[in-house]
Amino acid sequence: MRKLDEKKEILYVIRTLDVLMSSGVGLEAALHTIGKGGYGIISSDFSSLMKKLSSGKSRGLEFEVKALMNKAESEGYRRLLNTMYTNLTQNTDLIETLRKQGKRMEEDRNESVNKYIEELGGVPETLLSIGMIGPIILAIVGLVPQILGDGAEAIIGSIDQGLINSIVNGGLMFTLIGMMLIGLKAHTKDPGL
Amino acid sequence: MIFDLLEAFNENSLVLYLFVIGIACAAGGIPPMIERNRRRGIENQLPGLLESLSDAVGAGRGLQEAMLEQGRNTPGILGKLLTETLESSHASSFDAALSAFASKTRSSQVQRVVVLIDTAMEQDAPLQNILSDLAMDYERLNDLMNKRETELAGRGILIILFVCIGLPVLIAFIVGLFAPAASGFQIANFNSTFSTFFALASATGALVSGRMMGRARDMLWWIPLWMSTSMLLYLGAVKMIGG
Repeated sequence: MRKLDEKKEILYVIRTLDVLMSSGVGLEAALHTIGKGGYGIISSDFSSLMKKLSSGKSRGLEFEVKALMNKAESEGYRRLLNTMYTNLTQNTDLIETLRKQGKRMEEDRNESVNKYIEELGGVPETLLSIGMIGPIILAIVGLVPQILGDGAEAIIGSIDQGLINSIVNGGLMFTLIGMMLIGLKAHTKDPGL
Repeated sequence: MIFDLLEAFNENSLVLYLFVIGIACAAGGIPPMIERNRRRGIENQLPGLLESLSDAVGAGRGLQEAMLEQGRNTPGILGKLLTETLESSHASSFDAALSAFASKTRSSQVQRVVVLIDTAMEQDAPLQNILSDLAMDYERLNDLMNKRETELAGRGILIILFVCIGLPVLIAFIVGLFAPAASGFQIANFNSTFSTFFALASATGALVSGRMMGRARDMLWWIPLWMSTSMLLYLGAVKMIGG
């Protein structure tokens, strides 16, 4: 969940940092602005970072940024934090790097949306196939004792209706879990627009 | 006739409860759809407005003047809201009017843009470039969002048609044909198990369909209706075919 939130907000954060810093705002003040809210999980990260800094217990901004890098789950967010850390320790050109990163991230986002659309192409058919095959087989299993009547006992011995019911119920449960797992792809692969 | 129809499902009280809850929830599902359409309308107009503002600022106009003018020229709800807010803010500051406009749109895109414009004004940053960059950014973002919606909407509807309608009718046809109740088959328990399965499968299908289009939360309102629809279709078709 955190990874998805980060992916959703990171491009906006980069753009905001770009605008703020291009217009002369310092990194700490920019982080403070983003920490005030509007950027989901990243806002809360930056807000807690600023709280630690202002409490006086922190060893400095660069250490807090480095600590956040361990917390970050998405590649883009980790890269942004790394860029900020490098800027703090080696005084690099942060604005130029942010612009390049934003451009690259936008390309990644386009790619991931196209991939998402492509990957979900077969989901309706797969759901129907699994949802159809399971119940058809289980319907036959459930009705076998009645359809075959006394002949069933001659073929497969005595039939326990309770056992048959358990098999049908278990099978339907598995079918449902299978459908959920296929559907889960729509959530886990979300490009985070 | 309606009561006779409902009487036919007396043995399956779950379907009747779900049907009533489904109708009530469907009424709750309509406002999010209207709100979403309104919000997307505003967001799709945003890049155009930003581009015009960038041009006007580049031509030497003040941002407030440019906004008022563009608000009047922009058709649709975005222009109307902008003009209304700016015109009604006689005694308050321009910043306050912008914030009021952003919150009235209820769109996170507009709110982010307004925060950025506000900060850029505070810092005396080059507004023309910022507005033009923002216009391009949001145009690309909206193109992607629209693409996702148009391409996946068809598939989402297909999932609902397959899982909530096609699947129960197909299985009901098989059961009704090969194990008709009229011929003495005891299928009451069997039907109850399968109708519950179809209800859960429909809930899964509807949720997946909603998630694909990025509106799973809105879809939650429609789930009880789809669950009851698939149960009613299954039980009704079994009764019709098998007696």
